[in-house]
Amino acid sequence: MGKINTVNVSKKYTFKESLYLVAIIQGMMITLKRFFEGFVLHKKFTIMYPEERRDYSQRFRGEHFISIDNNKTENCTACFLCETVCPAECIHIVADEREDDQNLYGVKKEKKPLSFDIDALRCCFCGMCEEACPKDAIKLSRNYEMSVLKRDDAIYDLDHLKREVKGLKGRG
Amino acid sequence: MKTELNYQSYKKPVIDTPPATPEAKPTPKITIDGVVIPFQAGDTIMQAAERANAAAEIPRFCYHPGLPIAGTCRMCTVEVEKMPKLMTSCSTPAADGMIVHTQSPKVRKSRTGVMEFLLANHPLDCPVCDKAGECELQDYNFEYGPSTSRFVEEKRVWDDATTKKLSDKVTLNMNRCVHCERCVRFTDEVTKTNDLVMKNRGYKKELSATDEERGLWNDYQGCLTDFCPVGALTFNDFRFHKRVWFLDKKKSICDQCSKGCNIEVHSDQNVVERLMPVFNESVNGHWMCDEGRVSYHTAMNPLRIVSPLLKSKGASKDAALVSTTWEFLFQQLNVVIKSSKKILFIIGTDASCEEAEQVKNWSSKLAGSSVVYFNGVNGVQTSKDDGKLDHLLRMKDKTSNTRGVEALGIQPINPNQVSDADLVIYLRAGRAQLPIEFSSSAPWLLWGVWNLEEVKSVQQKLNVVGLIPGLMTMEKDGSYVNESQLKQTVTTTIQTTGHCLTVNKVIEGLWIK
Ligand code: SF4
Ligand code: SF4
Ligand code: SF4
Ligand code: SF4
Ligand code: FES
Repeated sequence: MGKINTVNVSKKYTFKESLYLVAIIQGMMITLKRFFEGFVLHKKFTIMYPEERRDYSQRFRGEHFISIDNNKTENCTACFLCETVCPAECIHIVADEREDDQNLYGVKKEKKPLSFDIDALRCCFCGMCEEACPKDAIKLSRNYEMSVLKRDDAIYDLDHLKREVKGLKGRG
Repeated sequence: MKTELNYQSYKKPVIDTPPATPEAKPTPKITIDGVVIPFQAGDTIMQAAERANAAAEIPRFCYHPGLPIAGTCRMCTVEVEKMPKLMTSCSTPAADGMIVHTQSPKVRKSRTGVMEFLLANHPLDCPVCDKAGECELQDYNFEYGPSTSRFVEEKRVWDDATTKKLSDKVTLNMNRCVHCERCVRFTDEVTKTNDLVMKNRGYKKELSATDEERGLWNDYQGCLTDFCPVGALTFNDFRFHKRVWFLDKKKSICDQCSKGCNIEVHSDQNVVERLMPVFNESVNGHWMCDEGRVSYHTAMNPLRIVSPLLKSKGASKDAALVSTTWEFLFQQLNVVIKSSKKILFIIGTDASCEEAEQVKNWSSKLAGSSVVYFNGVNGVQTSKDDGKLDHLLRMKDKTSNTRGVEALGIQPINPNQVSDADLVIYLRAGRAQLPIEFSSSAPWLLWGVWNLEEVKSVQQKLNVVGLIPGLMTMEKDGSYVNESQLKQTVTTTIQTTGHCLTVNKVIEGLWIK
């Protein structure tokens, strides 16, 4: 291999720059300014989370839930529309026959989800599932605190999805 | 819009030939939407349109090419010039010089009217309904239907027939029925079992099994669920398992009897969800039997053995087989095969012609070995024992390729050969009988498609030393000769799971080592 010609693109320091001192003083001035703003003038840029929380939009899309009726039966009929539409392919449903004793109010629902899993680690929180659902069953709550200790816990099963979500229009 | 129908219409085009003699009549012709179509005397307008492949433009509920004509749904109306009223194309005989319009405003308006009546009592069930995605009512409503409903009255609901098991195979949801009576005509005219009837009249007309206690009892119940244009009849084996739009559809043949019905394998990510018949005039017509329809469970059986098994050296007769690698299996088998003087190859008659030939060629290279075939299901030994089980499709020979194996000059098995041999290798694709009727002290090698229970029951009688996992019909390319000596070739429809290899690869592997 022959010699490779290289070009030095870094610029030459001027005399003032090569002293470094000026830049250090400039930096210290900024630190000092922020110190005064925070400690003396009490001007804050952060909040005291978790005691304090930001107010997000009503339309914020957070952790999923499945709405339930008065009998705590899920409204979902396992139509697979959310699974079909989900761009992240993170919904996995297994459908089954709904037994008669689960048809309270005499409304015959034939089908139910036997299992309903959402892999929140894959979900991109686009809200398409919510959009597609003909039963208004799957919804995204406003909860953004979704940290878990194990990866497995980020796969929401039916029991987790059917939890009670309080708040404005059921959006928590 | 051309609606895709879940059954195929057929009817070969009539060739417009000039009359042979001056007295003979010329081929009659009909004009459908401006296209001149020659037809056969006796055709209806629908059938004439089918000849030109234009019938998909005519919506229909009650008409089915495999069933007698009823003319009850009025969906197929077309405008015929010089006729005062709209005519049902499925039941109006075509006449020479007729000019038919299938898409005129008057026709479309009539279809919208029919749809509105049908939808008046139809539930809004599509999300729950298994037919959604291949439902003719849905498709036609998209094309012709009113997009809003004027019906404010209470809908008709059959409380006790909302989810009613007509048999252990079929479930009825009467709320969705459009009363086309395809199903009733099928049991009347095709299976001739008359096990479905419409009881009551008019608004209360309800589908029911003739003998409610016995339920449906014909052997072709799956077909009802194929051609029911709506989700009223659903097949329990498929019900709620998959939405149809996820399915990949590939053509194949059924390997459950010597008929070789043409089928479509519907799978998703290499998991077969259901089998459906495909029209083939010379084999199965439009239908297939239920036994064949659920046969994909053999391939999808969770107990199916999909990795090579071997018994450790010196282990007792009923010691368990243990899973091993192909390399080790080949190594060990080579030793066994080389040290055997009289190898007997048994080919199950469910193997394809190609596989049988490959085994035969292999055997010809091994001195002292011989090849025979074995069927054994239903007591069938050779193709001479085969016969029809009913007037439709089902055959006594429950394997797919007895005639193909016979055509290769392979002889049927003789029990003496088994006791003579010092190594027996039995290849089957999950359908030929288990070799439990033979008694032999020689080591046996099982090859092909086996499940755990089958191996266990074979082990009780025979000394099984190893198992070579092979492929099902739908997992490989191959040809099969059916009951009428028709050779049908299929290609791979799903990829096998596990470590199964083709027969060719196994032979090569053993040969090279
Ligand atoms: S929010 Fe979007 S990505 Fe997440 S589950 Fe719903 S459809 Fe899928
Ligand atoms: S779209 Fe709604 S009803 Fe359908 S499966 Fe998803 S959550 Fe259930
Ligand atoms: S039969 Fe067709 S239109 Fe009726 S609910 Fe089922 S899919 Fe929908
Ligand atoms: S059950 Fe299906 S095939 Fe039978 S009459 Fe009703 S819609 Fe037609
Ligand atoms: S298809 Fe012609 S009337 Fe039903």
